[in-house]
Amino acid sequence: MEKKLSEMKYEEEGIVKEIREGLKDKIAGMGIREGRGIKMMTKQPIKGPAVVAVDRANTSIGLGLADKIIVEVGK
Amino acid sequence: MNKVLLMGQANVGKSVFFNRLAGANVTVSNYPGTSVDFDKGRMLLEGKHVDLIDVPGTFSLQPKDRAEEVAVKMLEQEKDTVVICVIDASKVERGLYLALEIIERGYPVIVALNMWDTAKNAKVKTDVKKLEQILGVPVVPTVATTSEGFKELVSRMREAAPVAIEEITKSVGGDKSETHN
Repeated sequence: MEKKLSEMKYEEEGIVKEIREGLKDKIAGMGIREGRGIKMMTKQPIKGPAVVAVDRANTSIGLGLADKIIVEVGK
Repeated sequence: MNKVLLMGQANVGKSVFFNRLAGANVTVSNYPGTSVDFDKGRMLLEGKHVDLIDVPGTFSLQPKDRAEEVAVKMLEQEKDTVVICVIDASKVERGLYLALEIIERGYPVIVALNMWDTAKNAKVKTDVKKLEQILGVPVVPTVATTSEGFKELVSRMREAAPVAIEEITKSVGGDKSETHN
């Protein structure tokens, strides 16, 4: 099943499927690229940033950005 | 070469690095126009005092916020400089992204795989020799908190030389167009 990164639930894991054009360069430095495993660690209330784990590293990412990343999740 | 820039992503130990290399001779200054601090000190390199600058952490050279802008600007202003690119040894892929960007801009780079002990404990191993062959720049495992690897790092800084990015892509068997993705 595909969903936006921003829609992932706490502790949900998936594989990055698609990153909106023009964004790839911006977030590649954080280790987020297509084909990478990604896990939702924490979500802040009131549209606060989400913390995701990629490559053993926790990175916080704004929800606006997270809206533009499509993740393939299990189930 | 009279300047050394310490660059790396956030939380890789740059500042511990800085304190190790600069010793007690630290001065703190404020970069004009921003609220972002950077540290400047001096270190002894082959008997000569050179400036050592602790650049704010940045994920990449495409700045996403003010602090990263400062980091990129500082790099662009310094021409005659060697860059120590500090990478978290357990998050090598992420760190290499920045290292490659700096190399691509033509700076002589030496890579420090920091927190080598933590990576080892987490069973993350990096083939240092192989990475060196691929990048064409010195790669040194370090533990900044205990100074492990610092002698080697400092003694090999003179080996840092600009490398054409095409050479690196060739050595991993790719072509240039694939790197911009």
